[in-house]
Amino acid sequence: MPPLISIENVRKTFGSGASLVDAFGPVSLDIEEGQFVSLLGPSGCGKSTLMLMLAGLLDVTSGQIIVDGKAVKAPQTDVGIMFQDNTLVPWRTVRGNVDLQLEMRGLDPRRYKDRVLDLLGQVKLLDFADRFPHELSGGMQQRAAFCQAMVHDPHIMLLDEPLGKLDAMTRESIRTDLQSLWMTRRPTVIFVTHSIEEAVQLSSQVAVITPRPGRIDRLIDINLPFPRDLGVKNSPEFISHVREIQEIFRGYGVI
Amino acid sequence: MATESSDQSNLGAKFGALVNQSWMFIIFFIGFFLVWEYSVVVFDIPKYILTPPSDVVRNGWADLPKLLYFSYITGLETLLGYVVAIIVGLPLGMAIAFSSVLRRTIYPFFVCLEMTPKIAFAPLFISWLGFGLLPKVIIVFLVCFFPIVLNAILAFNSLSEELTRFCRSTGAGVWRTFLRVRLPAAMPQCFVGFKYAAINATVGAAIAEFIGSDQGLGFYIQIVTGNMRPDLAFAGIFFLTLIGLLLFGAVTLAERLIIPWHISVRRVRTT
Ligand SMILES: Nc1ncnc2c1ncn2[C@@H]1O[C@H](COP(=O)(O)OP(=O)(O)O)[C@@H](O)[C@H]1O
Ligand SMILES: [Mg+2]
Repeated sequence: MPPLISIENVRKTFGSGASLVDAFGPVSLDIEEGQFVSLLGPSGCGKSTLMLMLAGLLDVTSGQIIVDGKAVKAPQTDVGIMFQDNTLVPWRTVRGNVDLQLEMRGLDPRRYKDRVLDLLGQVKLLDFADRFPHELSGGMQQRAAFCQAMVHDPHIMLLDEPLGKLDAMTRESIRTDLQSLWMTRRPTVIFVTHSIEEAVQLSSQVAVITPRPGRIDRLIDINLPFPRDLGVKNSPEFISHVREIQEIFRGYGVI
Repeated sequence: MATESSDQSNLGAKFGALVNQSWMFIIFFIGFFLVWEYSVVVFDIPKYILTPPSDVVRNGWADLPKLLYFSYITGLETLLGYVVAIIVGLPLGMAIAFSSVLRRTIYPFFVCLEMTPKIAFAPLFISWLGFGLLPKVIIVFLVCFFPIVLNAILAFNSLSEELTRFCRSTGAGVWRTFLRVRLPAAMPQCFVGFKYAAINATVGAAIAEFIGSDQGLGFYIQIVTGNMRPDLAFAGIFFLTLIGLLLFGAVTLAERLIIPWHISVRRVRTT
């Protein structure tokens, strides 16, 4: 079976002439269906750029991206995206924000009511369904943004540093929810982070990216069994993966 | 339960704070008029130059029918000019924001016009259109139109990159994107323009009436000042202020009803 997502020699540059910025690539990477792949790399290496290209929101400069056997040329509508800044709108409640994803797709929110409530329940936001984003903590906002990004049941999810701005404790608790959401629906997830532990804990594969222009240095399979709770961090395998990746980054001189 | 009781004590605290702040203001307000009242007497200022506030109230009350009728005239000019400025300015601002052709043609033209004082056109319009209502409505319109248009252009041009991408990723068409995201996102900045215009609307009406008219508060103020009656002039100014306050109050109320979620409205409500 061909891979679900195939990144073939993709390169991205911005500008031209003297102001040309070599932002990303060339990179080739195959992603199998149902995987949880983390993109781990230093700031500015082109992770967000790759996400946007995968979503069809940014053109590739050269090479191509193939999803489900078709080259990506326009915005992909059957993916769920969480951008680096969340896309909750201030004039809608949590539930209204989740419904927005449905309404924009021409779906009737009333027919998806159970699904929306089910999702909000899974991320412990049921009591806050009728609150506005400004009434929520940062962690709750990100939970709401998860629901917004996956209410239309996408088979691919692109998550760009969804936990980036949260404190350590909140991150831990959302990680667990994220993992259980992934395990129940089993979408293919591409997850950007710069926390090594987070990548190893959540992923089935970790792609380690070099500083700009980002290239994939290593693709590491993490074979620990799911679900992985906090206890997994004490396992020798976990620790050796974290060490291995730390060594790579030390080699770049970024840590 | 816990949040409810803390909400109530919050409300109590806010009310207390409001009373505290208002008391200071009321005392200042009364003090201001007392100083005015008695300094006219103490410094022996002639009544044709400055009258005490008590005269303003007494003589203004006696002339109330005329003041009310002229307030109606000036209020009508103000309201008509303002409403037409919104009806024309808002859609035009949207069109300029979404059309690159308009943005390169009309927009720079408007930016230049914004620099010219619109009041300077008043004598021209009065010479073209006479002493009636229409030239005043046009002047009010001109004064209000530019802040409304320019803020609308800004409003519809400043959707965040993330939200723009979100909209594209849903595959929604232009119209659905507009109704569900662009329009509500633009409302706060539009209201900045509406409020600014509301503050300046009565200025347009009054000055247009100074220049040429046979009714309205601007006309009234000019006549009574010529007759050495500053008391009645102050009464006219009072009603002019009232019209401005009513218009601004109405716009602020509309803002609270239309965008209760916005930070500027929330801040007013909690402090
Ligand atoms: N629109 C753009 N124009 C010019 N340079 C850009 C643009 N977007 C991103 N870049 C550059 O591309 C590089 C990669 O950016 P990005 O994908 O945001 O990195 P990351 O998400 O890994 O931190 C950065 O050096 C950034 O400055
Ligand atoms: Mg980024």
